[in-house]
Amino acid sequence: MTIPLADVNVEALSIFAVIVAITLGITYWASQRTKDATTFWAAGRGITGAQNGFAIAGDYMSAASFLGIAGLIFLFGFDGFLYSVGFLVAFLVVLFLLAERMRNSGKFTMADVLSFRLNERPARVAAALGTLSVVAFYLIAQMVGAGALINELVGIDFSLAVIATGAFMLVYVVFGGMLATTWVQIIKAVLLMAATVVLSLFVLGKIGWNPVDLFNRAEAQSDDGAAYLEPGLRFDNPIDTISLGLGLVLGTAGLPHILMRFFTVPDAKAARTSVVWAVGLIGAFYVMTTFLGFGARALLGEAGATGGVDEAGNLAAPLLAQEVGGGDGTVGGDAFLAIIAAVAFATILAVVAGLVISASGAVAHDVWSNVVRKGHDSEHEEVYVARIAAFMIGAIAIVIAVIGGSDLNVSYMVGLAFAVAASANFPALILALTWKRFNTTGAVTGVLCGVISSIGLVLVGPDVRSDPLIELTQPAIISVPLGFLGCILGTLLSKEEGKAERQFEELHVRAETGIGAEQPVDSAGLTPRPRRKVPAGATTTLRT
Amino acid sequence: MAEARRAPGAASTVAGPAHYEEIDWERAARSSEFHELERSRRSFVVPATIFFVCWYFGFIILAGYAPDFMGESIYEGFTVGYLIALSQFVMVWVLAGLYLRRANHVFDPLAKRVAEHTPGAEAYTGNGGASRSAAAQTAGTGDGQRHEREVTS
Repeated sequence: MTIPLADVNVEALSIFAVIVAITLGITYWASQRTKDATTFWAAGRGITGAQNGFAIAGDYMSAASFLGIAGLIFLFGFDGFLYSVGFLVAFLVVLFLLAERMRNSGKFTMADVLSFRLNERPARVAAALGTLSVVAFYLIAQMVGAGALINELVGIDFSLAVIATGAFMLVYVVFGGMLATTWVQIIKAVLLMAATVVLSLFVLGKIGWNPVDLFNRAEAQSDDGAAYLEPGLRFDNPIDTISLGLGLVLGTAGLPHILMRFFTVPDAKAARTSVVWAVGLIGAFYVMTTFLGFGARALLGEAGATGGVDEAGNLAAPLLAQEVGGGDGTVGGDAFLAIIAAVAFATILAVVAGLVISASGAVAHDVWSNVVRKGHDSEHEEVYVARIAAFMIGAIAIVIAVIGGSDLNVSYMVGLAFAVAASANFPALILALTWKRFNTTGAVTGVLCGVISSIGLVLVGPDVRSDPLIELTQPAIISVPLGFLGCILGTLLSKEEGKAERQFEELHVRAETGIGAEQPVDSAGLTPRPRRKVPAGATTTLRT
Repeated sequence: MAEARRAPGAASTVAGPAHYEEIDWERAARSSEFHELERSRRSFVVPATIFFVCWYFGFIILAGYAPDFMGESIYEGFTVGYLIALSQFVMVWVLAGLYLRRANHVFDPLAKRVAEHTPGAEAYTGNGGASRSAAAQTAGTGDGQRHEREVTS
């Protein structure tokens, strides 16, 4: 199949350039303010609840959601929509169980909470392992996806696209830290929501403002007929469907880059407000994936079974934009395609920046400062190491993506990242926060069980092997119980630790009430208004 | 002001979360105020979690094992499955909204009471903004009454 957009898309490149210029400006502004560790890792804890809600949405909705889900619905109908539902319901777990507790008890990373009352060094290493495994799969999938997409949408070479994406990602994180990352994510969320609303309205207009008619027309265009509107086209094994649901719902609550966002707000109240904002935005977005996916089927299907869409379905949304804008070759069609391509690019940048900063937290704050240097290094050193770590992590991801090339099979990697998060990070975190008896051995064995079982199950499964040892594409239904079992058996079979018993009350009371929670740094100048720096002390005098 | 709220001896910020030796955490954990906070939180979170787990996994299990039922058309191609899927969105929004209201009006005042009854912790009311409560403390005598209204409402 030939790609219909072989030439370089100048309109898309110009919109890219505008987005990049704005985000680089923000990065410069942020870099001027990033002087200490709290600003680098947590944006000084000065992000408001609503801002953080947008940033969570921007951090969470990857190109896999925007283009991938639209494509999955286009290809598989109802089964594609299962992802949309799972991605949203997951936030109830985050809201009820983790958001406020993370903010109250943590500092910069997930490991701060996990190791709070455990034997610090092994617990931090375990948490860093969980974080880095999730980020590795997620990041490589995003980078390869970015390269392939930009290649197809804009016409620039795959390797160049990967390197450009990686370079911008590194500039945001290395120079601007969490402050720049946050604003890149907020801008991306606004762009993504706006583009999706406009595209949905165009689709609805095309089909005569009758959403129900969308299903009929989509069904009529599908080779699968009535089955297109029923479950089962993507997953013929019901266990896979259930396993996917479990992995999505618990995995979100174990994603290190999402959990890290809760350290950027001033208090637990803002953390909870931010989840509610995120739920509103993410929910609205996933409802609209209906219009994108079924709309692409209904409107593009007329051009044949694939309508020019690639095998993975990633081009469904951009081609739909082109179609409703007036079609290939028209001014409106090309402009709309360029806008969607640019939004997809912004989407990828925001997610990979969030991933890299959380991974650099695991390396610099957890492993370097608290394991290697045992907390004796300076803040300055930690931020310095963080920048080097971010650079190395980004460089490794770029090299793997370029060497692997666009043929690297990444389709299972985002699912695997969720499975590792659900099986390794979530059980250890939730038990550390709620189970008094839980100890270091339990945390280490639990994380190891979760990481090994989820990766192992995928390696022997149908996505990787042509002669699979197990007919299960989604590992969560086995690996999540194994993760919990590892935590529980590891705890019960080892001796009780005096230290853990003594400090559980501190963690427990702190997590529930916020007594002793880390305070925001003076938030003067942390709003993005381009204003002159307020002299130190000016705000404190106002307060008294 | 930010410095005054930090724990003594927590000058280095590269280590993990600050440890507060001066607060009697075990006593706070045993206090009736803390038990009331836990009870109150649990009375919302447990039923809400059971509800969403059943509703969500019920949907997933039906999608896995009853594709024909899920594909039945209610109105011109709008299927049972799609209706249940949309109900999940409504459920998430409603539960999140209810939780937000309950947390702001019930959990936060209870958490504040725990802090007030814990020696050494009066200044740290993390739920609802330490800076705000610190500002309120300097605001003078009107503060006590305003606070009481918050707790009783």
